[in-house]
Amino acid sequence: MATGFKLTRKGITANLEPGERDLLRKLFTDVQELLEPDTAADSDPLAAMVGIDSSAAVPEDSALLRLLPNGTAGSDEDALEFRRFTERSLRESKQGALRAAALQLEAAPLRLDTEQAQLFARALNDVRLVLADRLGIDDDEAAERLHDITDPSKAEDVDGYLALVYNFVTWMQETLMQALLDSLR
Amino acid sequence: MLNGFLTTIEPMATSTATGTDTLTREETDSLTAADIPWVVIVWNDPVNLMSYVSYVFQSYFGYSESKSHRLMLEVHEAGKSVVATGSRESAERDTLAMHSFGLWATFQKADTA
Repeated sequence: MATGFKLTRKGITANLEPGERDLLRKLFTDVQELLEPDTAADSDPLAAMVGIDSSAAVPEDSALLRLLPNGTAGSDEDALEFRRFTERSLRESKQGALRAAALQLEAAPLRLDTEQAQLFARALNDVRLVLADRLGIDDDEAAERLHDITDPSKAEDVDGYLALVYNFVTWMQETLMQALLDSLR
Repeated sequence: MLNGFLTTIEPMATSTATGTDTLTREETDSLTAADIPWVVIVWNDPVNLMSYVSYVFQSYFGYSESKSHRLMLEVHEAGKSVVATGSRESAERDTLAMHSFGLWATFQKADTA
């Protein structure tokens, strides 16, 4: 079993089992692929240069919508306008964090400076958002119900396995956040 | 990038003023002027960790530990919290930043919050 993240004099460190590293790397890669834009960059060179995506649309996949939410609660038109101007760079920013986190996993033990730890935290968070959507966690009670699923021998189906993975990633992120919060004090 | 967005869709303040009374038109102008602040709202969700939300508020906005904690609790308990106020440009920038952290945020005019 992994030791969670700890703040040390040499940065924020953690020890992961090889299987845990492989699992996290797979999750980071999966979410990175989920964030891949459907269409190539805008054919208008100026639009492409500034990151405008005239073809941007509200994602149909609920997990992707959670990663790339509407920026306004009001009219769909305003939300879509904001999306056209921001979504492509948001996808790239998230993919960058996931890629950076996957690269960090090559080192054993993990040792992160503050900036690397922040990227790692964002990557873990996006993985959790996707897993939570797949698990149907849409309120605090649903989150609470899954909380106790930590015994691998009791994960009998896909949802049981997903819940196990979700709880592992949650635990990793929680220890990382405590280390990052400690670093601010 | 966002500057272009701003100038593109910022409504024309005077274009809808139909009154002939000059004073009325000026009042309309003062209400729709660009100095009406915009707000960024973070919404509750059952996934984001309290520690993470608190850390994002501290590290991104530079808020104190206690202010960040208070805002985080407000999100959690009231379902949403206004976490920043300012120009439309800054509200858009902050909303995008919150999305990059995985927080669910929207921006809107302060008077409609």
